[in-house]
Amino acid sequence: MSRPTYLLDRIRPDSHTLAAYQKSGGYEALRNALKSKTPTEVIDVVKASGLRGRGGAGFPTGMKWSFMPDPAKDKRPRYLAINADESEPGTCKDRVLMERDPHGVIEGVLLACYAMRASTAYIYVRGEYRESYNRLFEALREARAAGLVGRKIAGSEFSCDIWMHKGAGAYICGEETGLMESLEGKRGHPRPKPPFPAMFGLWGQPTTVNNVETVFNVPFILERGADWFRSMGTKASTGNLLVGISGHVNKPGVYEVPFGVSCKELVDGYAGGIWKGRKLKAWFPGGSSTGVLPGSAIDVPMEHDAIKNAGSMLGTAALIAMDDHACVVRAMEVVARFYDHESCGQCSQCREGTQWLSQIFHRIEIGRGRMEDVQMLEDLAKSMAPGKTICALSDAAAIPTLAIVKHFKDEIEEHVRLARCPFVDPAHAKRAGAFAHAH
Amino acid sequence: MTKITLNGREVEADPTKPLIHACHAGGVDVPAYCYHPGLTPVGSCRICQVEVKQGEAPARVVVACRTPVAEGMVVETESPRAHETRRECLEFLLKNHPLDCPICDKAGECDLQDYAYAEGQGEGRSVEPRRRLDKRKSLGDVIVLDEERCVLCSRCVRFMEEVPKTPQLTVGGLGSRSVIETFMDRPLTGNYQGNLADVCPVGALTLKPFRFQARVWNLKKTPSTCGECSRGCATSVEVLRSGDVKRIRPRYDAEVNTWWMCDTGRFAFEPLNVEGRITGGLARQGNTVRPVDAEDAAAATARILTAERPAFVAVTPWVTQEEGQAIRALAAEWKLPTYLVSPAANGLEDDLLHTGDPAPNRRGLVELGFQAKSPAEVLALLHSQSAAWLVGERMAALLGAANLAAVAGHKRVALFDVLPVDGPAIEVFASVPLYVERAGTWLNVDGVVRTLQSSRPLPSGFPTLERLISLVSAAARPQGAALR
Repeated sequence: MSRPTYLLDRIRPDSHTLAAYQKSGGYEALRNALKSKTPTEVIDVVKASGLRGRGGAGFPTGMKWSFMPDPAKDKRPRYLAINADESEPGTCKDRVLMERDPHGVIEGVLLACYAMRASTAYIYVRGEYRESYNRLFEALREARAAGLVGRKIAGSEFSCDIWMHKGAGAYICGEETGLMESLEGKRGHPRPKPPFPAMFGLWGQPTTVNNVETVFNVPFILERGADWFRSMGTKASTGNLLVGISGHVNKPGVYEVPFGVSCKELVDGYAGGIWKGRKLKAWFPGGSSTGVLPGSAIDVPMEHDAIKNAGSMLGTAALIAMDDHACVVRAMEVVARFYDHESCGQCSQCREGTQWLSQIFHRIEIGRGRMEDVQMLEDLAKSMAPGKTICALSDAAAIPTLAIVKHFKDEIEEHVRLARCPFVDPAHAKRAGAFAHAH
Repeated sequence: MTKITLNGREVEADPTKPLIHACHAGGVDVPAYCYHPGLTPVGSCRICQVEVKQGEAPARVVVACRTPVAEGMVVETESPRAHETRRECLEFLLKNHPLDCPICDKAGECDLQDYAYAEGQGEGRSVEPRRRLDKRKSLGDVIVLDEERCVLCSRCVRFMEEVPKTPQLTVGGLGSRSVIETFMDRPLTGNYQGNLADVCPVGALTLKPFRFQARVWNLKKTPSTCGECSRGCATSVEVLRSGDVKRIRPRYDAEVNTWWMCDTGRFAFEPLNVEGRITGGLARQGNTVRPVDAEDAAAATARILTAERPAFVAVTPWVTQEEGQAIRALAAEWKLPTYLVSPAANGLEDDLLHTGDPAPNRRGLVELGFQAKSPAEVLALLHSQSAAWLVGERMAALLGAANLAAVAGHKRVALFDVLPVDGPAIEVFASVPLYVERAGTWLNVDGVVRTLQSSRPLPSGFPTLERLISLVSAAARPQGAALR
């Protein structure tokens, strides 16, 4: 496991302070870029590095930045919004960066703003992340006092202010257009696209939304070069990424790995294997909205294309492992209930479909399923996705449903046949129903 | 204009409007719940999905209300894929719908009902319990909300934001727990609440005055014009078999009111269902009043107007151009001055439709040569002159029935109004039809011609106002003169 790392290397007990950050060379990438690189050159380096967004979709970051209109032709104010509303079940990687290395986030934000010639950035922090918010807020105060945020940063002509915003607990506000609506003070209802944020974003102005980990990579790329960055990971997915491993493993946590590491190694090596000596039964590769895969498919590289070929998605690289004592129907019931709870309610398919899926999984789990429900689940999920709604929340509920029906049909049918959950002691079967709606 | 191919037919499409507009303009019925031509499209109900092919790219299914038209676009609204996508969407919309059409006021003109029938969605696959929500939540004096029927299209929310620009509604809750709410549960205010029931594609928002009053398929709908202000909004006057006007709704008119109308006009139908009208007229001799037919009332009017001087003619602003012209011609023959009884501004003026002037045909009658006089001035004339011919509905209301009754007995007044007034000076009364029972035109405040049509048949022996005027004219001529 002697792979090169950089993302979490700075973490110390005091690494959230400006003093510690500067001692480890912090803000040098920003100073150098302001002195010796034009914004276009910054974009070019990021493009050359092959950096892909770490928020789930994996879109090339440099290309996203270059979608912003030419400032010579479009004089409108422009914004950067940082998506720190990390709410995908299983995902907890941005939190580590914000709590332990907030200045690294700020430096990344400033470089992104410089590259896109934005003079205002908003960091939208998940409401429950109090420590993240407080650390970032304090770091911003320090950076502002040191002349690193605000007018004429580090003595250059570049001015940029950063504002913090606290989410109020809605998953949908992590969707980029929902996030923008929420920042504007409205309900977090995602907007139909087009128009795209680069043309019509916050308050109708050109806006780019980036994930925390994405911009956190930028200072490293500028300091060490695109070639260094490309030396890690795979050809199509460069650099290291943070993987959050949770579920039935011995050492759950956030680990830094290069793209392409085998998921088997992640579970057995980094996370110390499945707990209690059990076997891996099922796993979500990248958060609850990615399709669940059977344990037999664990030997797949943690990388966008490979996981796609395996029938799922890399998502936010939040691997959730389930051992052979776990009931996937019960797990899916929880996931479906989550999406029912978090659907914004605009689109008919999503509003009604997420609830419907949740009701069916609940019925199956408490022993009131019907054989035709299996087909219903598949039909409904196919009616909800792909791309049939304004945003991808509908897809997020449909994808794991389809995956469960595909890989664990027998287990669903077993529930129906027995008229109870096979993983619950029949003596206590009645209590299974009592789990419902604990959310 | 942009050329697109719509179901194999080349049509011209307005590039400033979304694809669904081109479909509707081209006579293709694409269903829509959240889309309304008068509101910003949001693309949330997803029912308007159609298949679109542009260039070499594979055909996509898109929401027609959020897709701009592009030159050469090939649109298939009836392809199997488009149908299937819409069927799926419909299944979701019906999953929690209460299906209480038999007791729903919207049944018969409900977009959800119509499309469910059209798509043959006769049976649901859901075995889950339907959502139970508030079925009669009052949102103020005008609107009742049935949360169970609501499909959360947000048309009502956008209407309040965009048309009267008084945002008062919002979607509360999240996901499948969403409901329409007013801010802080306050009752709705404003003069445009009634439109909410029109924009609602289902029976979620219904009008309190119309609740359980009629099944819409029993209503005879006649295009007409609103008579409550000088805007003259295009309306549909909807009459039940009994002859009662049960509802007045706005009718699309690009030039005047587009899709909307104010509540003042919408709910002004109670006076149209007037009781106690008489057929023909009344004639006074001394202290006795006896019923006469319309011809006798006209003849008596002609006798007064040819015998007495000084005398004058006054009309109310509900008199049409055609009637006004006939009155002017007659008055010119008799050299009588013509006045328009001009009601004062009622303070209901707003930036949207209501002009604050309750006189629908003021502009037309003034252009014809009627001189506007306030009710007080007309009353003063009644006291100072010997005779008067007062013509038009709401005459007694404008002048005040008590004021009319107080005019001295030696004055000779012919009153042509809807209901008789008893007073010593009122020598003749003739019953006139209401504006919803007459045909003709008004000129609105901007000089736009507004058309009236009779929305219900007149009882037998009930002449139109034009006929009454010609009877007066004929009676004034020597015997046989009218025959020539």
